[in-house]
Amino acid sequence: MSTSDLTQAPLADDGSFEVQLQKSGQTLQVSKDQSILKVLQDAGHDVPFSCSEGVCGTCLTRVVAGKPDHWDMYLTPEEQEKGDCIMVCCSRSQTARLVLDF
Amino acid sequence: MFIKNTWYVACALTELNALGSQPLGRTICNERMVFFKGPDGQVAAVEDFCPHRGAPLSLGKVCEGKLVCGYHGLEMGCDGKTVHMPGQRVRGFPAIKSFPVVERYGFVWVWPGDAAKADVAQMPSFAFFDNPEWAYGGGLYHVKADYRLMIDNLMDLTHETYVHANSIGQPEIDETPSQTSVEGDQVVLQRHMQGIQAPPFWQMAMSANGLDPQAKVDRWQICRFSPPSHIMIDVGVALAGKGGFDAAPEHKAYSVVVDFITPETETSHWYHWGMARQFKPADAALTDKIREGQGKIFNEDMEMLQLQQANITQWPDRKLLMLNIDAGGVQSRRIIDRLLAQENPTGITA
Repeated sequence: MSTSDLTQAPLADDGSFEVQLQKSGQTLQVSKDQSILKVLQDAGHDVPFSCSEGVCGTCLTRVVAGKPDHWDMYLTPEEQEKGDCIMVCCSRSQTARLVLDF
Repeated sequence: MFIKNTWYVACALTELNALGSQPLGRTICNERMVFFKGPDGQVAAVEDFCPHRGAPLSLGKVCEGKLVCGYHGLEMGCDGKTVHMPGQRVRGFPAIKSFPVVERYGFVWVWPGDAAKADVAQMPSFAFFDNPEWAYGGGLYHVKADYRLMIDNLMDLTHETYVHANSIGQPEIDETPSQTSVEGDQVVLQRHMQGIQAPPFWQMAMSANGLDPQAKVDRWQICRFSPPSHIMIDVGVALAGKGGFDAAPEHKAYSVVVDFITPETETSHWYHWGMARQFKPADAALTDKIREGQGKIFNEDMEMLQLQQANITQWPDRKLLMLNIDAGGVQSRRIIDRLLAQENPTGITA
């Protein structure tokens, strides 16, 4: 299965998805009860963050491929619709894979 | 525990106006509030707690009807929602509590309880405010004592003989029994003294009203408690034998002592006191003179109540006596307790 397929494919039944990091090529698994931020931190990445609840905008990250599932209150509805940014502290993915500019 | 679903006097409008662009921080019924004038000039009250880092918003400034936090410049609106903050998007900021407010009779009234239940129709009404036939002067004391001690004080005026010996006190008060009656949520305590010499404060008032201050008088005190903690006291003297309280205006010097007692904490309250009078209402100098005299008299109460509270705090388990002279306070507290139970039906009592 190719990368482009996974960024179009629907989420797994258990709510998990994978995050691919554009710069390192690393792929990380995000389970239903984890945040993308937590997975990135556990993998040793230094992610700017503050409120951890989608209010402050500190963890804003560019989305390269895949479709985010926005849970934040920072982006405007128009920005959320556009789908090229995500707040990794609280938002998730609508597709089986998200590729982040990280 | 306090009756919270009701209107309390928070401050005089003049007090808020005097602060200019500064907001007014005030704790009422254990709720820390900040009062300020919104964009339309109307007074608003919100929690004194910046949603950013918990700083007291009362340390900030009011700018174009927004309350600007003095710590990092968060701009709070009248409804408790953040309007703006430099360098931030505020859409997701959690709202803080806002309190219903009414401006009436020269005061800001606040409803510290459930905002959904706030009802302007429940505001008490007073004939002597905003009425050219009456004059009003008053002040504010912060008293470090349970607000119910002030109710006890005002619903038993026998203390005047001792606490206010040089102004309104006189032995005839002790010697004349009082009657207490309860009418619904109101407690009325009254005492009528006949053929006595007026005490100094009333001699002054008699002179001001063109009466001979040395003449024998009939004197009355009619204290009216209504919940949560407002006490209006008809006080005055009339030339002896002219009908006392019911005497024609030219024979008496008469006024209403106005007491708005607003709990701050369990052991402190805001005491808005004043006097409304019908004689010489246009005489501003007389209003000032009465205010000054009343302020001195009520300062004597404050001293007594604060040290009484200190004693009670030190000996919380000591039982106090309820004598016949305390019936007015006892009945008033009974009404407060009943309303508290109504407001907290789950059986939680303090």
